[in-house]
Amino acid sequence: MNRAPGLKTYAVIYLLFLYGPILILPLFAFNDASIVAFPLAGFTTKWFAEMWADPNLWKALKNSLIIALSTATLSTVLGIFAARSSVRYKWPGKPVVMGFIMLPLVLPEMIVAMSLLIVLLGIGINLSIFTVIMGHVLMCTPFAVAILTSAFQSLDRSLEEAALDLGESAASTFRLIILPLVMPGILSSFLITFTISIDEFIVANFLGSGQPILSVYIFGQFRFPAKVPSMLALGTILVGVSVVLLAIAEYFRRRGIARTGGKDTGGFL
Amino acid sequence: MTFSPDRPTMIEFRDVHKYYGDYHALRGINGTIRAGEFFSLLGPSGCGKTTLLRTIAGFEGIDNGAVLIDGKDMAKVPANARPTNMVFQSYAIFPHMSVAENVGFGLRRDPRSRTEKAAAVEEALEMVGLKGYGARAAHALSGGQRQRVALARALILKPKVLLLDEPLSALDKKMREHMQVELIKLQRQVGITFILVTHDQEEALVMSDRIAVMFEGQIAQLADPETLYRRPNGRKVADFIGTMNFIPCQILSETGGRIEVEAKGLGRVMLDEDQVPPARGEGEPVVGLRPETLTMLYPGQEPQERAVAGRIDEVIYFGDMTYYDVFIGGTDVEVRLSMRNVPGRPVLDVGTEVQLAWSPSALVLFR
Amino acid sequence: MAQSKSSEARTGWLLISPPALVTLLLLAAPLATVLVYSVLTGSRGAVSLPFSAENYYNIFRSSDGNILDLIFSGEWGAIPAALTKAPYLLVAGRALFVALLVTLATVVLAYPIAYFVSFHVQPSKKALWLFLITIPFWTSYIIRVALWRTILGYDGIVDSSLMGLGLMDGQLNILSYGVTSIIITLAHAYAPFAVLPVFVSLEKVDRSLLEAGQDLGESKFRTFLRVTLPLSMPGVIAAVLIVFIPTVGDYVTPELIGGGKVPMISNFVEVELLKRRNFAMGSALAASAMIVVAVISLIFILMNRRFLGGRK
Repeated sequence: MNRAPGLKTYAVIYLLFLYGPILILPLFAFNDASIVAFPLAGFTTKWFAEMWADPNLWKALKNSLIIALSTATLSTVLGIFAARSSVRYKWPGKPVVMGFIMLPLVLPEMIVAMSLLIVLLGIGINLSIFTVIMGHVLMCTPFAVAILTSAFQSLDRSLEEAALDLGESAASTFRLIILPLVMPGILSSFLITFTISIDEFIVANFLGSGQPILSVYIFGQFRFPAKVPSMLALGTILVGVSVVLLAIAEYFRRRGIARTGGKDTGGFL
Repeated sequence: MTFSPDRPTMIEFRDVHKYYGDYHALRGINGTIRAGEFFSLLGPSGCGKTTLLRTIAGFEGIDNGAVLIDGKDMAKVPANARPTNMVFQSYAIFPHMSVAENVGFGLRRDPRSRTEKAAAVEEALEMVGLKGYGARAAHALSGGQRQRVALARALILKPKVLLLDEPLSALDKKMREHMQVELIKLQRQVGITFILVTHDQEEALVMSDRIAVMFEGQIAQLADPETLYRRPNGRKVADFIGTMNFIPCQILSETGGRIEVEAKGLGRVMLDEDQVPPARGEGEPVVGLRPETLTMLYPGQEPQERAVAGRIDEVIYFGDMTYYDVFIGGTDVEVRLSMRNVPGRPVLDVGTEVQLAWSPSALVLFR
Repeated sequence: MAQSKSSEARTGWLLISPPALVTLLLLAAPLATVLVYSVLTGSRGAVSLPFSAENYYNIFRSSDGNILDLIFSGEWGAIPAALTKAPYLLVAGRALFVALLVTLATVVLAYPIAYFVSFHVQPSKKALWLFLITIPFWTSYIIRVALWRTILGYDGIVDSSLMGLGLMDGQLNILSYGVTSIIITLAHAYAPFAVLPVFVSLEKVDRSLLEAGQDLGESKFRTFLRVTLPLSMPGVIAAVLIVFIPTVGDYVTPELIGGGKVPMISNFVEVELLKRRNFAMGSALAASAMIVVAVISLIFILMNRRFLGGRK
């Protein structure tokens, strides 16, 4: 199959470019020097200890977890509504409304954050982690809709009809047939929106009013050269957690496809 | 075809209309399906046969008219309260459940005890030849097994009517022929009305007591298989059911019910009333002739009725049968005829001059 | 379930209303507010009537006078000099320039990868490759950007390595804190966004067309130019759009990588809204950014239509 050594070499270099920074993370997180530069100075775990000891990290982490869990739950629930409506029912105006719900995906994040900020300041709502959740739900819902739409689409419509035909009501059909079969998609949507929310910076920064939130905390810490190694230690952990969550999400997505007898067409987006 | 026509009516269509937007999917369906009958809805794709089946199941509402099941108007009865159950084209086996859970799904609201239900499931599985398969995962089944599970799941609720939406189309030819016989046996065993949707005319002929042939949202003819085959009521039906040769003709005279025609290449023929279906189509009149009603005369054979000379234009060998396309002597009329290949009857070559025997009583006039 | 058309539409609308309402409240209403604010008169921390176009007018100001005035009074000669002294236009121009460079670099770098995965990777392994390409996207954006800073920055990994190898005896300041760093960082950040749409369009290319091309005596490269590349253009344009839009509005990279010395549009909006608390001017800037992005996106979409339309 492979008759293009040049392309393959390029692909490897490209992957190195993609993964380079991520590979550097653990390298310098365990490096015993406060300046991030070669040559490496020896192995240490003190940066992890330093990071661990900072009480601000724990405040930020707690806030971030609250925000991410709320965001993942809300946007996944909204995604279920939207995906079910668009896949199963015919209604006038569908392309416009669905396009509108997916709009945050293609708008510059800054514009979304700023316009929301103007309104919040205008109405006089105090900025808090609640306002961050609002922004994150808006941004994450399109991702949830995309993932769940493909989950609902892989569901054979006649399964639903069969359950009705065998005497179940619409509600019990949803509970007994549809929900279990799209559950992998729901889990996958939850994990991905959770990851996006944890990583998101702009909304967290501008709608969070200086509350300690993980991404804002990291952004701030990176400004101090002395803090960089301990941030690399934190980054190592976060990247590890992200990769694990993604692997789980991917696993559920594939299992969902296998279960409903579909064919894997790959990829998240 | 031991079916007695005096059974009570199970399903009645009264001027059923269905629209999808501007598309008129069902255009005034009338007819009745009798209790205990194996009934088929036959037609090309897009003719409305599946839509009609789904109006019985309650998955499609109708825009005009009425569907009655066992004398009761179904307009306000939702799918989950109708005395019908369906075997879906995709079988719609719940992939996250075992075979037994699938079959027992409809018993969830049944007040019987758990052991009684399990016994009912086992009985249903035995009926479809899947005894002992209950614990299997549904997604691990073969196509034929899935279909049996779908049948057991539908029959366990003892519906008055079983609806089958192209249940055999996903199976290979051998399996399909096997399941045709099994379905007939099963229907005789349970004795309820089976309504089968199919686009396969052979399947419909083999399995059904009666068949409704549908085109473009209308029933073109509703009759038993033999009538459909021997006396189709129009060119379209004749063409859809089996093969038919159409030969241009001129109508010479009509006296009483009898019509005399001059068929191109065949000469003058007198046709009885029952050879002239009342439906009038478009275009010039033609007479129709099934391939097996034409016989090629081998040397020494005498025609029983009439014969005509011809020249073989094409030979299509099928193993047990050979099809010949033959030009009727001195015309551009080509007819197809089928001959069984038996010992001492060699397959002839293209270009051979032959004699064709035919019988005027086999003709049908379409005008 | 014997539902008529209207009841089906009702159920559909009922289900769609929660997400639609959330988007309406959290997106449409704020965007509308921005548009309204942008034509109001601003003062510190408040907006008031009357309506005026002054905010938009102010976008064109420079220390040599407003450029719009120069245009209307026909002083064409003074415009080039004034443009270099117009803070907003300068930033907008640079932001667009940087965004276009980033987009170009990202898509050009991504195309061979998409091509490789689509044409030279076994079908069973394609999902794995795509997964590999998307993983970095799902790791913290902040951390990735910050990492590039430590790699490219003053006394960073690149500098120290090159010096350590004796290739250089001073800091390599071109890479530090400049447009190049921003381009590298963003090209890295948006790589999966560029690879995926191109990959999807390449997957749709009918393989028999390529064989037909070679069968007719075309060389591989010419077949690529005449068949594959045109057929994959919709994917390329989608990739361009997907990379361009967020890049124009990027905030983090200029802050962290550019050290705030190369502000982009978002950084200006921030200053106007949060530091100066001039909601009207900030809104006008945000609205202008939206309009510019929308117009450019529209041009790309129309180009895409051309490609799709020309192929019927």
